[in-house]
Amino acid sequence: MRILVVEDEPKLAAQLVEGLTEAGYAVDHADNGRDAHFIGDVEPLDAVVLDLGLPLMDGITVLKKWRTAGRTMPVLILTARDNWHEKVAGIDAGADDYLTKPFHMEELLARLRALIRRAGGHASAELVCGPMVLDTRAGRVTVDGQAVSLTSHELRVLAYLMHHKGEVVSRSELTEHIYAQDFDRDSNTIEVFIGRLRKKLPPGLIETVRGLGYRLADPT
Amino acid sequence: MSRRPGSRGSLRVRLLAGSLVWILGTLTVTGFVLTDLFRQHVASRFEAELHLHLDQLTANIETGPAGEPTLRADLSDPRLLKPYSGLYWQVDGVGDAERAVLRSRSLWDVTLAVPADSVPDGGVHVHRIAGPDRRRVVMMERVVRPADSPDRPLRLIVAADESGMTDPVREFVGLLVVALGVLAAGLVVAVGLQVSVGLAPLRRLREALATVRDGRSRQLEGAFPNEVQPLVDELNALLEHDAEVVARARTQAGNLAHAVKTPLAVLGNAAAREHGALAALVAEQVDAAQRQVDYHLARARAAAATRVPGMRTPVRPALEALVRVIQRLHAERRLQVVIEPPAAGQAEPAFRGEEQDLQEMLGNLLDNACKWAAHRVDVRLSGVSGQLQVVVEDDGPGLAPDEREAVFARGVRADEQVPGSGLGLAIVRDLACLYGGDARLEESASGGLRAVLVLPAA
Repeated sequence: MRILVVEDEPKLAAQLVEGLTEAGYAVDHADNGRDAHFIGDVEPLDAVVLDLGLPLMDGITVLKKWRTAGRTMPVLILTARDNWHEKVAGIDAGADDYLTKPFHMEELLARLRALIRRAGGHASAELVCGPMVLDTRAGRVTVDGQAVSLTSHELRVLAYLMHHKGEVVSRSELTEHIYAQDFDRDSNTIEVFIGRLRKKLPPGLIETVRGLGYRLADPT
Repeated sequence: MSRRPGSRGSLRVRLLAGSLVWILGTLTVTGFVLTDLFRQHVASRFEAELHLHLDQLTANIETGPAGEPTLRADLSDPRLLKPYSGLYWQVDGVGDAERAVLRSRSLWDVTLAVPADSVPDGGVHVHRIAGPDRRRVVMMERVVRPADSPDRPLRLIVAADESGMTDPVREFVGLLVVALGVLAAGLVVAVGLQVSVGLAPLRRLREALATVRDGRSRQLEGAFPNEVQPLVDELNALLEHDAEVVARARTQAGNLAHAVKTPLAVLGNAAAREHGALAALVAEQVDAAQRQVDYHLARARAAAATRVPGMRTPVRPALEALVRVIQRLHAERRLQVVIEPPAAGQAEPAFRGEEQDLQEMLGNLLDNACKWAAHRVDVRLSGVSGQLQVVVEDDGPGLAPDEREAVFARGVRADEQVPGSGLGLAIVRDLACLYGGDARLEESASGGLRAVLVLPAA
């Protein structure tokens, strides 16, 4: 799951990037509105944490531009502006959630998880695929109730597939969603992660669709 | 607008009373002057006529052989022949009792009692005396000395009823009073019209001010005469200044919020990553600081807004926008937030105040309701006699009666389990009170909480 953090205060931005990375997200960061707009416009993002008071371009403007251009990724506004009229303006500009500073990192993470889950059409915090359950809150995977130990990259790949269960996901799409923009990407590593996941999980869950990518098949 | 204590009365009454006193004074003086002039004129005409008769009498009088006066020919005026006709003459011997008294036929059996005085030769005297038939007469006398007996002068008297002089004056005064009365009435009506036309701009000014007070307008609209326009311009400038001050206060509050809250967020997050006494202390103080900032910013914004007249905010659109927001913010709860549709044929009440303040109050009420609701939040909007009422009902656990009042206290939270600063309801009540309204909590039909917000309607 790839997240863009748009925050111009360096210390807070660093905390956000750190907190989100620890939670298992691939995190991009922009410290001004123009860069944020560009990244959001071209990169496949699973969610955005957006500050409103930004240099070069205001957060509301950035958001409106994304929505006008048909970008539908969930956006959580994280701002010090706590007036209801600002919340109205934010939501009406196309935001999906609104959190005011100061905030607790746990609450931000919970809201982001919920946003990403709902964007994929999932109502519950637990994603189920046959005997396998992914608890998005804890980042824990169980098969038939038995915990499965996964590395953070393996978890990212699996979580993305779980959020897009039944869809064909290409290797490049997986790469884009599990690595941040400035990460040295190598699509071959995806095959490595898929291979390790297949060993740890019940057979037949992750199908290879020749020439297209992978699909998480629900055996039921 | 009712008359306030300390008011200096009505401008209209002042102008009307002043004009009325002036008109009545002037017309009264005019009436007296005209009457006097007419009276003098009539008197002089009257005396001139008497003089004419006296001259005729003088020319026709002669003395008989015994020195008795005789009339050479009757005088021309027929009234002198008719008894008590009102015109008389008499000739006597100036106290010479031996001489016979010659009288006009009109005097019949009366002899005019003439006051004794000496009239110089050639001169005339005028007296007012009792005449025949108990009427007052004006008489004119002259003393002549016949050529044949210059030592025995004759007194020639002509008299006429005084009514010949007073009646025209009385008639004239009657007519004059009517004429001047009509003139006065006309002038008063003209002044009344002038005053109401002249003061019309002030009335329009008052109406324009009323629209600003009621929030139907932000500025005084319309063109006013040169004398009033400066006042209107000043008022408009003042209104605009007020609005700017509020906008500036809001911007500054927003800037302060941003300046303080981002560092608070950094501090809080840093503390959350650490363990130990210092981290706990920082976390606790960050929370306290956040509440203080929230509370005082809300107060500052509210205090600025309520003093600006000319505010009018439709309630339903604000409610609908907030419900959109609240459903996003509480999307996980999957609540049903229902605004009761407007009653058919009824005008929806608007809030006499600032949109942001309304959103602040409604937003906090809705937010609170959504935090506690189990499945459903109901919102009703109604307007009664100058006030509007918003009711927000949830189907949550509700609050015991003694807890309801406590949550309005600053920073008190009914339950620490649900996130929030605990200021929401305190801010709602503060804002409502500043606007002259109120906020209270009751038990809803489903056992949850019913928040009732009462605000001035526009």
